[in-house]
Amino acid sequence: MNSCDTINALVTPYVDEELADREREAVDRHLQRCPPCYQRVAAEQAIRGLIQARKPALRRECASAALRARCAGLEGRAAPSARIASSAAGAVAPFASAWRRRLAPFALAASLVVLVGGAFVYQLTERSTTVMAAELTADHMKCFAVNSVLGTRQPLSVVESSMTGTFGWDARLPENPESGGLELVGSRPCLYGEGRVAHIMYRYHGHPVSLFMLPNAVRRQSLTSVMGHECAVWSSGGRTFVLITREPRDDVARMASFVQASLARDIK
Amino acid sequence: MRIRRGPPPSTAVRGPVPARDTAFEADALAQLDSLYRTARRLTRNAADAEDLVQDTYLKAFRAADRFEPGTNLRAWLFTILHNSARNRVRDQARDAVVVDSDAVERAAGLAAGTGPAAPGETPESLLLRETLGPDLQAAIDALPEAFREAVWLRDVEEFSYAEIAAMLSIPVGTVMSRISRGRQGLYERLQSAEAGRPGSIGRQPSPVPVGQTEE
Repeated sequence: MNSCDTINALVTPYVDEELADREREAVDRHLQRCPPCYQRVAAEQAIRGLIQARKPALRRECASAALRARCAGLEGRAAPSARIASSAAGAVAPFASAWRRRLAPFALAASLVVLVGGAFVYQLTERSTTVMAAELTADHMKCFAVNSVLGTRQPLSVVESSMTGTFGWDARLPENPESGGLELVGSRPCLYGEGRVAHIMYRYHGHPVSLFMLPNAVRRQSLTSVMGHECAVWSSGGRTFVLITREPRDDVARMASFVQASLARDIK
Repeated sequence: MRIRRGPPPSTAVRGPVPARDTAFEADALAQLDSLYRTARRLTRNAADAEDLVQDTYLKAFRAADRFEPGTNLRAWLFTILHNSARNRVRDQARDAVVVDSDAVERAAGLAAGTGPAAPGETPESLLLRETLGPDLQAAIDALPEAFREAVWLRDVEEFSYAEIAAMLSIPVGTVMSRISRGRQGLYERLQSAEAGRPGSIGRQPSPVPVGQTEE
């Protein structure tokens, strides 16, 4: 009774889990004996799952501070009660490109406000640890790609003072990373989720190793495989640490406990 | 579902509206990033997206008195964005939204195409492992416009079918079929991208071009 045509209209709400029980069961029954429909559902589910997992990356792109200032200025144009940009904008045609240039100083001011207001607050999202690990693995690959182009290196003191300056984190990184087989490369602040995370880069027998520190986040301890990398996750002192590399699991566990032990000097 | 009372403001720009709740502007501006990202998908171009968003806010602020407080401001703004995008395409007589009929055909013929997955691997786990954000973004941007917009509004902006239907002035059934075809088109593209990739697992991380994930 359930031909593919009947099921057809139900596939998308089925994938989105928006069907009532009876309809869902009807689709389930059909899928069990119809490989083409089964494959179609699997494809849609795969894409939906992928988009859900990559949503933070898809949402990473933001409107520029200049655009923000221009749009806030529009509000000032319509209501004389006024914003900073209204006097500058009032005399100029709304869509003229010159307008954009005139507002650049305001845009800069707006961007500074945004930075001060929000950049250092990392909010824990409800995404799973695996998704977080996948996102950070992408950053791991990207930052090492950038580093291999630029070839920059930073000593321990520079990395530690940058952690203090950017994150208010008195990091006690391993003083002799070589004893754990690690060699310090440097650090970068990375954008992740709603704010910044610290990214400290090492090499282990020449191979890239990343240590991420997420402020104000707590996760359960875990060792996850994602995108060909091993990710060790642990939390202490209200911060979450993620160590990522392509080395074998045992080595990763050893590196993680080496770093963990060193950082623990920080937490009395 | 009721989203707005009056017709959405389109091209007509009226005089300043004197008294408005400042919360309205603040709530509207809170949608800036979402509107901009969606505008990027619609125009596939940063400068056009910025103009489109600015156009959207201008119309929204000037039509603020036609917005019914307590109803869905976000959906209302996206409706204006969608209509503005359509008007711009029409005004500029520029075919920025060519429907890629080959892609539609490929999407429709999807079921026959893909090979069996390895044991224990689902299509989802395979794609999840191999597809990073920028690859997915590029695949979305390569979709025909109608499918791209439907998938984006549903899966990224998380609007309901009914909200999207009202926004685009199309039936709910059409919304669902566009989402479905969009997802299938994405699956097809990402699978073939996957098949065309050289043996990926090595000791070094695969090089990611600088700036690929940042603009």
